[in-house]
Amino acid sequence: MGRHLGIGLLALLLGAGAAAAQQRSISGRVGRAVSDEPVAAATVAVVGTAVSTVTDGRGQFTLSAPDGPVTLTVRAIGYKRRTVSVGPAQSSVAVSLEPDIFNLEAVVVTGQATGVEQRNLPNAVTTVTPEQLNRAPAQTVESALQGKVPGALIQANSGAPGGGFQLNLRGVSTINGGVNPLIVVDGLVISNAAIPNGMNAVTASQAGGNPSNQDDPVNRIADLNPADIDRIEVLKGASAAAVYGSKATNGVVIITTRRGTAGAPHFRISQRLGTFALANKFGTRRFTDSVEAKAAFGAGAAAFCTGPNGACPFYDNEQLLYGRKALSTETSASLTGGNDQTAYYVSGLVTNDEGIGVNTGYQKQSLRINLDQRLSPRIGISVNSNVVHSLARRGISNNDNAGTSPYLVFPFTPSFVNLKPTGPAVTDYPDNPFERSNPLQTYQFLKNDEDVWRVLGTATTRFSAISTERQSLQVIATGGLDYFNQQNLFYSPPELEYEPNDGQPGTIVLGKAANLNLNLTGSLVHTYTPSAGGLLATTSAGFQFENRNLNFTSLLARTLLPGQENPDEAASINPFQDEQPVRDLGLFAQEELLLSDQRLLLTAGIRADRSSTNGDPDKYFYYPKLAASYRLVQAGGDEIKLRAAFGQTGNQPLFGMKFTQDTTGSISGPFGLQVGTRVGQRVGDPNIKPERQTEVEAGVDAAVLSGRASVSVTVYQKTVSDLLLEQTLRPSTGLLTRVFNGGKLRNRGLEIAAAYSPIQRADLSWIVRGTFFMNRSKILELAAGIDSFQTTAGFSRSLGAYQIQIGRSATQIVGSEGLVGDASPDFQMSFSTDVDYRAWSFGMLWDWKKGGDVVNLTQLLYDAGQTSPDYVSAGAARITAWATGTTKVYVQDASYLKLRELTASYTLPGTVTSALFGRAVRHARLNVAGRNLLRFTPYKGLDPEVSNFANQAIARNIDVAPFPPSRSFFFSVDLDF
Amino acid sequence: MKANYLLLALAVLGLGACDFDITNPNNPDPIGTNPSRQRVANAAAGILIASRQNAADFILDVGIIGREAYRFDGSDPRFVTELLGEGGGALDPGSRAFGGDHWLEHYTAIASANELLNVIGTATALSAAEQNATRGFAETMEAWNYLMVVVTHTEDSIPVDVDRDPVADAPPPFVSNDSAYRFIAGLLDTANAHLTAGGTAFPFTLSAGFSSFGFFDTPVLFRQFNRALKARVQAYRASRVASGISTDAACGVAGATCYADVLALLAATWIDTSSAATLNNGVYNVFGTGAGDTPNALFQDPQRGENFAHPQLADSAEPGDLRFSTKVVSRPAGSSRGLTSSLGWIRYGSPAAPIPIIRNEELILLRAEANNALGNATPSADDINYVRVKSGGLAAIATLAAATPAARLNQILHERRYSLLYEGGHRWIDMRRFGRVNQLPIDRAGDLVFSTYPVPSDELIGR
Repeated sequence: MGRHLGIGLLALLLGAGAAAAQQRSISGRVGRAVSDEPVAAATVAVVGTAVSTVTDGRGQFTLSAPDGPVTLTVRAIGYKRRTVSVGPAQSSVAVSLEPDIFNLEAVVVTGQATGVEQRNLPNAVTTVTPEQLNRAPAQTVESALQGKVPGALIQANSGAPGGGFQLNLRGVSTINGGVNPLIVVDGLVISNAAIPNGMNAVTASQAGGNPSNQDDPVNRIADLNPADIDRIEVLKGASAAAVYGSKATNGVVIITTRRGTAGAPHFRISQRLGTFALANKFGTRRFTDSVEAKAAFGAGAAAFCTGPNGACPFYDNEQLLYGRKALSTETSASLTGGNDQTAYYVSGLVTNDEGIGVNTGYQKQSLRINLDQRLSPRIGISVNSNVVHSLARRGISNNDNAGTSPYLVFPFTPSFVNLKPTGPAVTDYPDNPFERSNPLQTYQFLKNDEDVWRVLGTATTRFSAISTERQSLQVIATGGLDYFNQQNLFYSPPELEYEPNDGQPGTIVLGKAANLNLNLTGSLVHTYTPSAGGLLATTSAGFQFENRNLNFTSLLARTLLPGQENPDEAASINPFQDEQPVRDLGLFAQEELLLSDQRLLLTAGIRADRSSTNGDPDKYFYYPKLAASYRLVQAGGDEIKLRAAFGQTGNQPLFGMKFTQDTTGSISGPFGLQVGTRVGQRVGDPNIKPERQTEVEAGVDAAVLSGRASVSVTVYQKTVSDLLLEQTLRPSTGLLTRVFNGGKLRNRGLEIAAAYSPIQRADLSWIVRGTFFMNRSKILELAAGIDSFQTTAGFSRSLGAYQIQIGRSATQIVGSEGLVGDASPDFQMSFSTDVDYRAWSFGMLWDWKKGGDVVNLTQLLYDAGQTSPDYVSAGAARITAWATGTTKVYVQDASYLKLRELTASYTLPGTVTSALFGRAVRHARLNVAGRNLLRFTPYKGLDPEVSNFANQAIARNIDVAPFPPSRSFFFSVDLDF
Repeated sequence: MKANYLLLALAVLGLGACDFDITNPNNPDPIGTNPSRQRVANAAAGILIASRQNAADFILDVGIIGREAYRFDGSDPRFVTELLGEGGGALDPGSRAFGGDHWLEHYTAIASANELLNVIGTATALSAAEQNATRGFAETMEAWNYLMVVVTHTEDSIPVDVDRDPVADAPPPFVSNDSAYRFIAGLLDTANAHLTAGGTAFPFTLSAGFSSFGFFDTPVLFRQFNRALKARVQAYRASRVASGISTDAACGVAGATCYADVLALLAATWIDTSSAATLNNGVYNVFGTGAGDTPNALFQDPQRGENFAHPQLADSAEPGDLRFSTKVVSRPAGSSRGLTSSLGWIRYGSPAAPIPIIRNEELILLRAEANNALGNATPSADDINYVRVKSGGLAAIATLAAATPAARLNQILHERRYSLLYEGGHRWIDMRRFGRVNQLPIDRAGDLVFSTYPVPSDELIGR
């Protein structure tokens, strides 16, 4: 916008707004109940007029009001609303606000541009506050959400640094469609793509006839800085997420970043120091003497056991590789401030997490600037920009067919083998006499660097076109951009022990992925109040356009010169490109009626979506929703809300599901390579359309014990029809699969969230929270003539396969002998407590998953190698049972109870603070915090949170040589200026 | 206000200009009607690419079941459990990499061939002769792929009429192995007729596998390959009848008719006993490390790879047999689940080493087999001894011509074992067609030698 135009508009609008009568001035101060700390950024409004203002950093405000008695409402995020009467002669007022510890008054999104207060909310939307989110340091947002969202199963795919989590809401929503929830940051739909790093070139994990990626990729939500987040709202099912239409079947995670508030600049810096440590080892068998060694590995093994009486030495190679505890640091700083026209939030983050594995780690730098500028009383713009750089060094892990992934090497490397180097050079590492590689050498010299630059930017304009006592009309337009460039350098030098095995020593995979998400959203929001207090009608309508393109290219080069880290002179180079351009357009309209003294809320809405991923890109698909809630208010602040909601969402086909394409390749001809085309593996469906989820949800929310306790109970049933199915074809067709819409599945579940605050005093506050979640899924229908099929990800039945079968749980696991388990948990619970006592704060969060099986192929490998720690007592029997058709022995209960977060902090007394840091520092706080410090599990693998095939709708919970889990412990100093 | 309307107007304008119809940017569409010469050439190369996809895997797996090879692979114990029938277990038809293997890849090649055959008649860029040459090529490759399925599966459940819509049409019926063999023989004859009417040149260039060891790259020369495959098919059929596995009347008493075919067919091939240099002449699957190419996965560092040769190969080899010493080498011992071997493979010297489809040495031994069955003792003995001397560097067995046919057959199977070692799963296939699977060695008590692969479970979908 040009300078002159801006000024002109400002003048115009100021003129237009100067109509109301303003005859006196009221000033005042807003403070927190009991402690009387100032409450900044509280909104003070004169009831019945459009007059409002916000408090400054000292909690003070001034506004113009009409003559006569007026009523002010004062609201602030995190506090309960307060209404105060101001007499005709009164010119100043002091307002104290009670903290809203259960966020009953927080406004929760219900539409693209609208929201209602939690107390009226007709859906079970979970809001996670920054206090909950940042209790203990987390590398990525998903790990910070674990245990905080009833209805969500959030699990790491492995322990590799830098992320790789699956966030699964309310059970199984799809079988072959996309599995990730929609992530919306400040109105911008961002990419959560997971791009393979090229590890397969060395591990050959796909060689065993398995087409699915096993590279342990990071999904890119990892790029967000958790400290920037003001709140996260999780729309779990279709009844809440219908307004996001055909992208929302896996739920929507709405992330709102922090914003500036009026007041003096407020600078905050936090310095963390800590470390990551190996949380669990698989362990290995100890061989007592050469007799035992020979019995297991033949005569040659005797040479290793040359101690007294043929005693075998013991080398803990697992500890040597993953036992690193290096110093990790994080510096984060933020600056906020502003005045009644302008507010800013600026933050920076520099993280350097050193991984537990040799030469692994994660670095992240982030800079965010969020700016709000009021151009006139009617026009405001908000501009957010975030630049993030991350570098993850993730080593090599997961399934492998080439003897390179450590947990595929350790099982076949008896503990009497010394893999320690004699010096720093690559040639100083001994060859592994029992397998093809020495993992210590591999990790020291292999690079698996994932380097990402990402820019997120949004600009939102809010124009208040009409603002009268009875009605208002807002025009909101948001444009946003999410661009990232991910570079993967996977470099396996030719000197590594395993490299010459394929006749092509040295491997490089140079991957470059560029992803662009462009969003444009426009909304009109009209509110209408026919008579004061009786009815509030909010009408909204708008559009959402998204243009996204993921363009991935990679070069796979083999046969390298020593020291050469680029593919230039490699003897063999294979290029690859995959492009996924998508365009979507959604139109939506919604009506919300708040009736009966704000007790009854009725909502109806509809969204229409078209997308280029559909067979017919011009066709609109419609997603309606209906919801109602009613508050039964009792004296003393207790209230009970009954709510029910219905909604539909879709799941767009994945890119390319509508295409049938040839597979290409090349073959040597007499005069050089010839290109060829043969039938593709998958038959696309030119009529493919989105899956449709229909959800009905009902619940009761109660605030009882004078507002000290809250309970929310929700039951839901969601059915998904027109599933995007990828059906295995008879192999005599020469094809693997075909894609089509068909079948139906159902989830039923129960969610409970409860919170209780036994004590709320100025010097002591104590809150406990608990969640409970259970879900049962069932396949109701499949296509005609099909009553079961195996998922494409996963291995054969003898290794535990996921079998989609009518009438059964969607996540059942079948083995050679039939049904052997189910990956879905029986239930999940979490428990957290936060105590603030004077200057001290304590918090902890326990996360309990009961049931849910994992196929423990890592243990199978150890048993096959005769090296499992319990091989003699149990392992030999296990592998024999398995070899003769009992898969069940490796399908194991993966229940866990984890101490996700533990924190203690102490705010230094003011005198000490000023003595130490000078008068500029207002608060200084010392924290210790740990993540995943304790865990209890019957599971015998490295970690019950595991997924060899990364994010999967069904075929999670397959454990094949993952990166081991870590726990972290941090000490930090926070200074507030 | 203006700014907002401007923004909205821009948005609407932007959306209006957007095209939601996005075409596939990544891979070509399937070949359609009236294909250009280039598309035909690509499809022809594609058939060869598809045909080689399973070659290495086939040799390894069938080699393990036929007790020629081991694979001690930490990441997958199924090579020493499932494939060796540990504890009396069965092949898992649900696993595409193991029990359910050696099916899909060949049918992919067949489907690729059918895709081309279905449109070749509409290719106006090609002359009638070129169309026929293309048909003859595609049908011959199709027949070879069917043969690979039939030789590993004996449950009389072979789909041959597979050119159907995978969704709309009923599944192709299962036919017996005898019918499948007859179908393959007929398909090769059809191909031969097309090749005969195929003019002087293919409208595309064949892979290097048709011109590296002899030349088979014109319709006329390619016919020799077609006839050689049919000779193998007829020999297989005949041996099945002779050993009582099959009662296919078309092969005559004890397979005599089919064996007679073998001799006639071989006469139309490049069979050559003039010098040791011609033993390798034939048609190959070729591999490489170039862009988009596939390396020969059987190549490994022989001292370090996970593939081992079966120890019994050394026990049964005659001292000085070059066919053993040029293919197998001593290496540090490996072991897994009670099995041990200290023999590695040097059969393939690089990731670009070709794998034979059929070559002269096999043709000579097919002739020896046919002559032996037809009572022509001397020509049979001559061919056996030729291979022993020229390929094995061994002495001729002077008494062979006077030996019994059964003894000569044993000798032929022995020569075939070493001559064709690790290049086509021949050992197990031979033992099967002569009903001798039970003569293969059992390494561990309770192990099984499978006599057939099961039909993959997925093949039963919708049946």
